[in-house]
Amino acid sequence: MNYERAELREQLAGAYVVGTLRGPARLRFARACAGSQNLRSSVHRWEDQLLPLLEGVAPVLPRARVWHKIRWRTGGRLTAPLTRKQSWRWALAGGLALSLGILVSVRVLYSPLQVVAAVGQDRMHPLWTVSRSADSNIMEIRALQNVQSNSRSAYELWALPGQGTSPVSLGLLPRTGTIKRRLSIVERGAMLRSNRLAVSLEPLGGSSTGAPTGPILILSDVRHST
Amino acid sequence: MSPPEPDNVELEVLLSRCARQDHRALSELYKKVSPYLLALLLRVLRTRDLAEDALQDVFVRAWRQAGQFEARRGRALAWMVSISRYCAIDMLRGRQAWVGLEGLSEVSVSAARAGSTLTQRALEHCLNLLSGDQHHCLVLAYQQGLTPDNIATSLGYPLGTVKSWVRRALSSLRRCLDP
Repeated sequence: MNYERAELREQLAGAYVVGTLRGPARLRFARACAGSQNLRSSVHRWEDQLLPLLEGVAPVLPRARVWHKIRWRTGGRLTAPLTRKQSWRWALAGGLALSLGILVSVRVLYSPLQVVAAVGQDRMHPLWTVSRSADSNIMEIRALQNVQSNSRSAYELWALPGQGTSPVSLGLLPRTGTIKRRLSIVERGAMLRSNRLAVSLEPLGGSSTGAPTGPILILSDVRHST
Repeated sequence: MSPPEPDNVELEVLLSRCARQDHRALSELYKKVSPYLLALLLRVLRTRDLAEDALQDVFVRAWRQAGQFEARRGRALAWMVSISRYCAIDMLRGRQAWVGLEGLSEVSVSAARAGSTLTQRALEHCLNLLSGDQHHCLVLAYQQGLTPDNIATSLGYPLGTVKSWVRRALSSLRRCLDP
């Protein structure tokens, strides 16, 4: 492959940086970069130009053990990793928790999901994705960023079925991580009829009236599969 | 919701000290950028344990390759973010065959040095020229490390269509960002 052709080079460098260049082609390209200043320049230009897409994430403090392991691996002041006995305890506890989790939620976990909405104030920085299973019984909400609000408020998601129907709460939005749960019949129906979702600012714990009480901060379209 | 971006000049100094095997510099570097990098890794890898494992690898690589950065690369935060993203992508896809590019470059990125605000404005402008689907696919791939297959499955579109959107998005962005 002639990597020196400008158009091809830019396309491959962009795909490499975005991550859509995969498998052997990715490896071949990375190796080719070692011998080509033009390729490396293209890669670094993409890296720098796309970097703003990663801005806006809220920092997350690593747990202390991460630094201890880095120190250990880089030959700094030795801080030993977990002893064998400690490791077994953690493994046993983790294993038990995992087993319980699997027993309780195997149905929910293994329902294939489709993203139906990217929820955010602008297109560049969606804050959450909302996904649902093919039968619309399971909904997953994933926080794409560490979403911040003050300690006395929460963000609540609403389905907007339209045609004079009241908004239906789909629950509080997670500030981090993912919520995956089964929808009630009312929620499922509202979700299926809605072309838009709304996010309102509510007191901690959510609206107590069954309708949005705070300002609507975000409106996002719902993508219904055909 | 934007965190203050770590100061690049300060990071470059820390990396140059890391290149001289200064563990205190590594500690300072870690304090300054690890929360930012962990947030990015979490977005791709989704579980804290995996993201923190990746964070370890990122700092070990940065420590080992800091000398190459000092000599040859311009922008410290972009360099560390790139290491993080490639590390996360490879971890996500179950591969260990990561080939680092960061130690090989000899490039000075003038646009990036002009400041992230200008870069961000340019990117925003160019992203707005994409179709909704092109934009959505590009962001899902870049921010979350999703493959075209993942995106096609999630959004319910044919794989070829998603690949085509990403390809067109990249072409359009390149024309727009470097007219």
